[in-house]
Amino acid sequence: MSFVFSRSMRTYCLIFLIGFGVTGCNKSNVNPQDKTQRTRKVSQRFIFITNGDDPYFDVLNAGLQAGAEKFALADKGLEVVMEKNNATAQGQIDRLRQLVTQADVAGVAISVIQAENVAIVEEMKRLTEKGVSVITVDGDINQKLFSDGRPYYIGTDNSIAGRLLGTAGRKVLESRGITEGGFIQFTGFTDNDNARARMNGCREAIGKNYSEVDRMADSFDHSRARDNVRSALVNHPDVKALVGIWAYNAPAIAEVVAERGIRDQVSIFTFDAAAQAIEHMANGNIDCMIVQNPFEMGVQTVRLLLAMQEGQDAVLTSMFPDYDQPGGDKFTTGLRLIIPDAWENDEDAPISKKDLESAVSAGTLEVLSLSVFREWLKKYGLSSS
Amino acid sequence: MKLWSSFPLHAVRKWWPSNNEWSLLVAIVLAIVFTAIVDTNHTYFFRPMESLRDIARNSAMLGIFSLGAAVVIIAGGIDLSSGSMIALSGTVCSVTMLSLAPTEMMAFKPVGSAVVLIAVLASLLTGFFVGTLHTWLITVVRLPPFIATLATLVGLRSFARAVCESSTAVLTPTKSALINVADPAFKVVRENVWFSVGTFLVLAFLTWLMLSRTVLGRHLKALGGNEQAARLAGIHTENVKWFAYCFGAMTAALAGLFYIANESVAAPVNQGRGHELNAIAAAVVGGCSLSGGVGTVQGTVLGAFFLRVVIDAVSKIIKTGADVYEGLIVGVVVVLAVTFAQGVNGLRQDRRFLPGALGLCTIPVLALLAGSLASMTTGAASGLATGFTAFIALVALRIWESRSHGKRVQVSISG
Amino acid sequence: MNKLGEIAVAMKGITKQFPGVVALDCVTLQVRRGEVHAICGENGAGKSTLMKILSGVHQPDAGELEIAGQSVQFHSTRDAENAGVAIIHQELELVEELTVAANVFLGREPRTRFGLLNDAIARRKTEELLGLLEASISPGEMTGGLRVGDQQLVEIAKALSLHASIIVMDEPTSALTDAEAERLERTISTLRQQGCTILYISHKMDEVFRLADRITILRDGCHVCTIDKEGTTTSEVTGWMVGREITEHRFRSQQAIGTCLLEVENLCVASQDSRQSGQLHNVSFRVHAGEVLGIAGLMGAGRTEVLETIFGASPNQWQGRISLGGEPVSFTHPSDACKAGLVMVPEDRKRLGIFANLNVTENISICSLFHAMRNGLLSKQIEEDIVAEPIHQVGIKAPSLTANISELSGGNQQKCIISRWLLTKPRVLLLDDPTRGIDVGAKAELYELIETLCQNGLAVILTSSELPELLTLADRIIVMAEGRVTAEFPRDEADEKKIMAAATLA
Repeated sequence: MSFVFSRSMRTYCLIFLIGFGVTGCNKSNVNPQDKTQRTRKVSQRFIFITNGDDPYFDVLNAGLQAGAEKFALADKGLEVVMEKNNATAQGQIDRLRQLVTQADVAGVAISVIQAENVAIVEEMKRLTEKGVSVITVDGDINQKLFSDGRPYYIGTDNSIAGRLLGTAGRKVLESRGITEGGFIQFTGFTDNDNARARMNGCREAIGKNYSEVDRMADSFDHSRARDNVRSALVNHPDVKALVGIWAYNAPAIAEVVAERGIRDQVSIFTFDAAAQAIEHMANGNIDCMIVQNPFEMGVQTVRLLLAMQEGQDAVLTSMFPDYDQPGGDKFTTGLRLIIPDAWENDEDAPISKKDLESAVSAGTLEVLSLSVFREWLKKYGLSSS
Repeated sequence: MKLWSSFPLHAVRKWWPSNNEWSLLVAIVLAIVFTAIVDTNHTYFFRPMESLRDIARNSAMLGIFSLGAAVVIIAGGIDLSSGSMIALSGTVCSVTMLSLAPTEMMAFKPVGSAVVLIAVLASLLTGFFVGTLHTWLITVVRLPPFIATLATLVGLRSFARAVCESSTAVLTPTKSALINVADPAFKVVRENVWFSVGTFLVLAFLTWLMLSRTVLGRHLKALGGNEQAARLAGIHTENVKWFAYCFGAMTAALAGLFYIANESVAAPVNQGRGHELNAIAAAVVGGCSLSGGVGTVQGTVLGAFFLRVVIDAVSKIIKTGADVYEGLIVGVVVVLAVTFAQGVNGLRQDRRFLPGALGLCTIPVLALLAGSLASMTTGAASGLATGFTAFIALVALRIWESRSHGKRVQVSISG
Repeated sequence: MNKLGEIAVAMKGITKQFPGVVALDCVTLQVRRGEVHAICGENGAGKSTLMKILSGVHQPDAGELEIAGQSVQFHSTRDAENAGVAIIHQELELVEELTVAANVFLGREPRTRFGLLNDAIARRKTEELLGLLEASISPGEMTGGLRVGDQQLVEIAKALSLHASIIVMDEPTSALTDAEAERLERTISTLRQQGCTILYISHKMDEVFRLADRITILRDGCHVCTIDKEGTTTSEVTGWMVGREITEHRFRSQQAIGTCLLEVENLCVASQDSRQSGQLHNVSFRVHAGEVLGIAGLMGAGRTEVLETIFGASPNQWQGRISLGGEPVSFTHPSDACKAGLVMVPEDRKRLGIFANLNVTENISICSLFHAMRNGLLSKQIEEDIVAEPIHQVGIKAPSLTANISELSGGNQQKCIISRWLLTKPRVLLLDDPTRGIDVGAKAELYELIETLCQNGLAVILTSSELPELLTLADRIIVMAEGRVTAEFPRDEADEKKIMAAATLA
């Protein structure tokens, strides 16, 4: 048969040479940022799988790399990389499946996108069976349903975070003389564990005087985030407060409110400090923010994965002292409440440090004014948190 | 010659792949070998069964509704709504289970095989309904197939989401845009790749049988080849189209069931989004012509497998951030594969690659593409060098072409 | 100055090969300025290829081309146009979505000072040209809405607008009625008087002998001879074309007319289109077993509509009565008609008949698939057996049974379509212009086939634009004009003048 030399056959060969010639050069080059890793031959990897793509995770990545330096991963022939997911469950399932087939994966940290997704948990378990250390970071699985899904969780205690924001929000509303009314919460997915926990916590803490009118999801679509706010204002013109749950919801809310010119009619409380959100607060468009510490999450992730990899029981015990008790498998990173500079020393401000004494003394919360927070960011070369 | 007339050998002779399918087969083998070598983990060497499992599972899931896409294309139509049909089918299945066994579903307990069976049938019936709707829009309302299935592409997904949210609002405490599916039947399907692969192979065999050995299949090909002639030859073209579009929608519905088993959740917002284009690409790479009447099952099967092999190869070779390049590589591969599947002979002697003004403008485009790709993968310096070299090479090609073209002198005639 | 008698076009030793076939083998042709030079040959003889080389569509593999004594090479039709050569193709190359004026000036649109399109000038010039051609078409009409005959005139207008000195016409009257063809002939005389040289490809002998000064005959890619019209006869020319003498068959000498198989009474169709041509008014006729009924008429007279309505292929509602074998029938779909024994071979085989993606066997068996089944599935073996019979009976020449149908010549393709229907053992056969675009040899074979079918008791209705053909084949001829039957003639009473008169009477 002469097909061996047929034209189409030859061109298929060409297809692959071209296609993979381009990418084949890229064998061990992982990420232009990680140039430090190239000096030593890398034999194993820690992988961080996000739920979607957001600057929040860039901060977390900065923490991962800082942790890599701090704990000298390179000397141990390890490196840590972040893989950004495409905001679907299937994406995380596929990624986990790929990692199962790869021999150089030592540990996996994942911010789970859907807390009750059985397939994701099963893939995590498969990885664990292969001897890979698997933990959840920032987004957990539903512990009641899947108690053996993962040994540890690092991240914010989102229920507490939600409650803190709810408390702060209530104080702001009360100080403005609004004793009752509706509020609306905005997030990416309503089935995501951290989103749900925050929203429920906020609703609990804000109290019975205020009713939660709606929870609006935008599937990580930033333009839909804005459209949701617009629809909310149209459908519920007398809403008193808007709550942003994920990092990009804050600027969305602030912009639309500014666009409508109704800043004086609504109070705005948000999570996370996206770069634009910080600007908005400086301009007075956001009342207060609860900020997580993704940088710290990154550092602790590396520490934990290394400890699991090398069996450093001492580290494990110090990170999880109450492991046997409920909630003892969670390592919570700190929270901060950021308030505008104007409120710092003002006695009549809606919130002052005194109001949240108990939380502050427990170490779960730091209350910072905006400028102090900005300095902290600069210190670590970050633009958001 | 008597030997040829016995059925099995005759079937083999009919099945014997064409040139295009041989090329695809060879390309698949080449890709696998290439990946096995270039992948630093040599995963194909050390963990062949796992990789094969993954590729097989993905090929089967893609292949099931690629067969549907191929049948519709062969019949002269097009179905852009397969991805949304997948979402709708998954939603219908899970909503049915939720309404028949709400407490079990929410508690992640088994719902019972009877319920599962009813739910599966409901999904397939939905496929039938959607196919019927398509046919009605196309034959009675006279919408072009592109428009009709474009409308359902957006409409069905939104409809599925509405169904999901209103059902969960009624049947569960909170309104939700997804429904978790934890029944062991689906778990078994997820864990054993033979379910999806087996279904795919059986479906492929039945489709092949239908297309090549039944009157309906012949009518399908005739319809795709020349619709008016088919009608004048006594073929009931509306009925044949009805079959084709229902087949397309029902295979997508079947694929939807595997999707929710795979993901353990019915999430109509994004499930299967954009996947119709993968199915159409698989069919076309496998030799189907978009003008209708041409195409084989063997080609489509190989096309689906080829696409998944390429995608897996990208993941294996570029370990981290593979999906950044995946689209680009798959796009290039599909363009090249289809060009040669449709038999365009690009190397004919009297054809110029950079003609006229268009060619001049194409030179910087190609050079930029090569240069930027190179700099993203290997660094700025080599990227610049690659781009520059490409530019010089293309300019040289252009000069060479116009010189040899110009040798054939044009003479102007004087009165 | 250019003298009459000078060589305008000289093609020397032209050779052209396509994959698998030598289209032209060292062909030499010399055309004098101002003459009408006919080029004759069967399909596949190479006439079209030769003319395409002259007009720049193809480039020869070997040989030289000279225009007015100067050696030239054409790389595109533009080069040829610049040299004064224009070709009017057999297959129309008009853009149906543009107006007539736009098509005439396609690619050379007249522009205003500012570079915008100057529709007024285009319109005016188009009107002039159409007037020259005696065409009653408005320059602003959509080309897609014109009948084929008018579209061809637009093509000719386009060539004229190029001010070509050498005009090639490739079977220009194949889709024209006789009146339109006469009009074309007058145009050709006018052009000739203006000093144009005309190359005329045709195999209609009467036209050739009326118009041409000299005739060149090609056969199988070779030049056979070039001869003055005066010095030869029709049968000699056709003899050269085919390589054998064609004797005039006396058809229809044995007439065994049987019972009435098809009767149509007061058939009325109100067309949905805005065009008048779809309507039928009180059409009535009968056809008997063993009889050939010819339907004559101009383009748009309604012949195809009658056949389509009877066959059940027309979307329009109709009134009246159609009886098949004495029983009233009303077919809504061609499959019903086929089952009842009434079949139709449609007009344009490329558009309405051929499945270009299927092979010869599949094209022929498409209406008889249920007979080719074994154990519930189609059997290739049985299919090929079934198909072998009509292939042999009808005389189809194909490279193999599995060759793609596009590889066959036009005549053989038409035979395949006829075979397709013959396999269904029909009682009544409707043929809509079956010999269009088919060469002389194949036509003769088709005539013999029709003769044989009639002898076997089939009733045949035949539409044709060629009156000689009708006069040769039909036992009776009815004439249609504007949707009505205007006359009916038995064979011995019919002649061309009477038929024309009835066809042009409004």
